[in-house]
Amino acid sequence: MTVQPATGGVARRPSSGSLADVIDTILDKGLVIDAYVRVSLVGIELLTIDARIVVASVDTYLRFAEAVNRLDLAETGHQQGLPELVENMTQQVSSRKGKGVVQGALEGAQEKLHDLVGDSDEEEPAAPSGRRRHREDRR
Amino acid sequence: MTSQTAKPRHTAASTNQGCYVYGIVPADVEVEPGTPGVHGPSSEVGLVTHGEIGALVSEVPLDRPLGTPDSLTAHQRLLDEVAAEVPVLPMRFGAVMSSPQAVVQELLTPYHEEFRTALAELEGHAEYVVKGRYVERHLLEEVLEENPEARRLREEIRELPEDAGREARIELGELVNQAVAAKRDADTREIAERLVPLSVLVSPREPSHEQDAVHLALLVADDRRADLERTVDEFARRYRGRVDLWLLGPMAPYDFVVSSKPGDEEWD
Repeated sequence: MTVQPATGGVARRPSSGSLADVIDTILDKGLVIDAYVRVSLVGIELLTIDARIVVASVDTYLRFAEAVNRLDLAETGHQQGLPELVENMTQQVSSRKGKGVVQGALEGAQEKLHDLVGDSDEEEPAAPSGRRRHREDRR
Repeated sequence: MTSQTAKPRHTAASTNQGCYVYGIVPADVEVEPGTPGVHGPSSEVGLVTHGEIGALVSEVPLDRPLGTPDSLTAHQRLLDEVAAEVPVLPMRFGAVMSSPQAVVQELLTPYHEEFRTALAELEGHAEYVVKGRYVERHLLEEVLEENPEARRLREEIRELPEDAGREARIELGELVNQAVAAKRDADTREIAERLVPLSVLVSPREPSHEQDAVHLALLVADDRRADLERTVDEFARRYRGRVDLWLLGPMAPYDFVVSSKPGDEEWD
């Protein structure tokens, strides 16, 4: 498990975290160069990898349903001993957290985030709730 | 603007090298020689300055696409390392200009005051991300326990042959997804309530995984860091076995810098 009781329970990752965390952070956040620069802006091809899972799609539903079914199997044998149970859970956790999952997604879902540095008008209005100007009042 | 705006690619076609821009920093920052950029050790990171501000830059070949895992990681690692020492305005991944001179003339010079002010405001602050992921087994048991309809569908699916149950599986999955979304909202609200008083700004992030429990970016003053860590620790203890909780940071304030375009002040 990722929880470390010795340190009070939080697994503190290195500041940048995993690749998935990096992707969450630098692909659609930060200052957009073309909001400032026009003439010397250079368009460069971006091969970006999107390991993010689209929440609330049919795929999501099917994954949840499948997970519920897997849960069934574990339950059919309620006589399953505690050590086994713990082992099962550990396996589930590690397979979910494992590098292989991320890498698989990376290999499978290589996608171009087209024109991230190109036409700003086509930019998706990503998460307005997540946007604040740092100039907002603060105490 | 000029006709070059429409075809920026042509501007630099003659040089074959571009200038990658990582972020804006105070001019007195020292970059350690040999700091690798988005193209590894061959793209050493340097600093170009104007007045009180500077930009972290490195050379990039224009004929190769950007975006390998290594280059993504290099971009963030550099900015986070810098942010641990000085304020920094991070650029979104993939910002390339034609030359270091252009960075000075078109980015640092005209926006000197705006960037300088923003850096001064960020002095003594860093971003942190609190991220929680539900422990799958616990999550699903909780949902089934609370939701009789989900239990019924689960039984129904069990009776059906593998390929006949698709509709029911989608229905079950959608139900679970709704229940998880409701839990996510409740848990996020609970954690945010405790973290808001410790933070200068809080910005909720979209869930990036269906089992995300909480995903919050926080801008926190350096002298509140210990409080933040203690509070997140408390939640991690309380949620143990139900939610795996992480605290990322300190990092550059990616979630708290927003480009202000003339005439485009408000995001809609």
